[in-house]
Amino acid sequence: MRIVSLAPSITETLFAVGAGAEVVAVSDLSDFPPEARSIERVGSYMKPNVEAVIAHRPDLVIAVPSPGNREAVEGLMALGLRVLVVEEGPTIGDILGAIGRIADECERHDAGRVLVERLRERVAAVRRRVAPLPRPRVLMVVGENPLVAVGDDNLLAELLREAGADNVASGLGRWPRLSVEFVVKSAPQVVIDSSMGDEASADLSFYAGLGIEAVRRGRLHAVRLDEVLRPGPRIGEGLEKLARLLHPRAFGEPAPAARPAGAPR
Amino acid sequence: MRPAARQPRLTRERARAVLAGLAVLLGASLVLAAIIGGVRIDFSRALDFAHPDSPDFVILFRARLPRVLLGATVGGGLGAAGAALQALLRNPLASPDVIGISGGASIGAILVLALGVGGPAWILVPAAAFAASLATLGAIVRLSTVHGRLNPYSLLLVGVIANTIAAALIMLVTAMVDSLRAQGVLVWLTGSLAQRPYSLVATVFVFTVLPALALWAQARSLNLLALGEETAVQLGTDVARVRRTSFLASALLVGASVSVSGVIGFVGLIVPHCLRLAIGSDQRLLIPASFLGGAVFLVWADTVARTLLAPTEIPVGVLTALCGGPFFIFLLRRQEEGRGI
Repeated sequence: MRIVSLAPSITETLFAVGAGAEVVAVSDLSDFPPEARSIERVGSYMKPNVEAVIAHRPDLVIAVPSPGNREAVEGLMALGLRVLVVEEGPTIGDILGAIGRIADECERHDAGRVLVERLRERVAAVRRRVAPLPRPRVLMVVGENPLVAVGDDNLLAELLREAGADNVASGLGRWPRLSVEFVVKSAPQVVIDSSMGDEASADLSFYAGLGIEAVRRGRLHAVRLDEVLRPGPRIGEGLEKLARLLHPRAFGEPAPAARPAGAPR
Repeated sequence: MRPAARQPRLTRERARAVLAGLAVLLGASLVLAAIIGGVRIDFSRALDFAHPDSPDFVILFRARLPRVLLGATVGGGLGAAGAALQALLRNPLASPDVIGISGGASIGAILVLALGVGGPAWILVPAAAFAASLATLGAIVRLSTVHGRLNPYSLLLVGVIANTIAAALIMLVTAMVDSLRAQGVLVWLTGSLAQRPYSLVATVFVFTVLPALALWAQARSLNLLALGEETAVQLGTDVARVRRTSFLASALLVGASVSVSGVIGFVGLIVPHCLRLAIGSDQRLLIPASFLGGAVFLVWADTVARTLLAPTEIPVGVLTALCGGPFFIFLLRRQEEGRGI
């Protein structure tokens, strides 16, 4: 079967259920697993290139619903191509459902079932471990300027909840734009910033002057959103990583070293 | 209204009274805007300098005050630039966004945002925007210079075209980068005063006050220029020099403001206009009054932007455009109906 994947998460799922060899083209940012990087590109997941997709003579095209790719997806369907559109959110359950559907569609039914079962078990294991623990007040930032945080009713909000967080931006909408004043006032004990890449590349100096507990106690973390929290088969790893940041001791990590107030990182 | 007929004579006393009144208004606005916020703070703790780590102190001095001061600086620069440009181009609908500098500055900022150039964005973005505004300025001056003289009509047209090209380039860049970066670009374009450190506020202040003073120094010549080029020449004005200096100073003001706050439109249009209706069109008073008035206007616009939907914020550029768009149409209608402005 010749498969074209129109989203990085779908590419990951296809490889995870053992259909990687049948993938003939992928969307631009499909960078995992490493084998996916050498596959031909057919435009971004927001704007796939219809002609490039057709040129690969696919037996199956898999896309996620998005306002940007609607015309392209409808165009491919109108040409008689088999197009599967999978809804990936906003809950972990939806993602597992999407993985199951993709696996069925590319005739990897059993591999899909095993993968979904394994992910379900990983999520349950995290849930069991954090259940008895006190929930720290957490702010998760996805955009730096302006400050955009994880609110409610999205995948990251559910991952935070499952990882044992008390989200300070809950109740303010799905992706609230927050003022700096609110960030200081809400006094987060942990801040997770996914707007600037990982710890090595992120410039977190903005937080140093805020005098918040998360900074004083060395609990300001940068994570890469696209790598870890993509709505695909690595969702279990992503959840574990979040839970580890929120409850380091419960996961056998050393307690974070306290930093003097306002110290630059 | 016909300015020549109704305008009261500008005396030193009246100028002093107007400027002093606006300065007091600005001072009061700065204090009030620092008190009003989306988050309630305890002022006994906020003003306790022995504990600069308390949330209240941090909110007042690190989050709120810098942006109030930046709002005053940017608003002042846009107001003064607007007043001068309207006199310079002899067009009451001219505004800093029209002459193409904001578009050019945007390209600089957006290239940094979109390419994700390494380093701290808070200084790289303004630096790139400022450099791009100067480059645009150079290009516009060159293209509008006919037979060695800067032609205000060419300038206006070249400015409009420069903005169109800039808008197209911005769309090109957003189409080429991934959606997260594209979103950052769009957000920047709506204009914001949040999260700027004092060092940047101080830098922008210097780059705003100096050109604004330079414009003020040209006020008398701009008055003569408003009477018409021939009259100005007959009265001994070096028209070419006045145009060049005033345009350069205005462009610096716009470049400085766009570089730090994105595109905050219409301040430079509304403020000089309302003031002209109130105090007359003598540039010696109008330029400094537009500076102070623009500062007051933007400080309050930003206060509304950060409190209306607190703890969420509205981009202040969106707010000023929402007020300014209808006002612009109103002005245009008045002008078309032959009532003048």
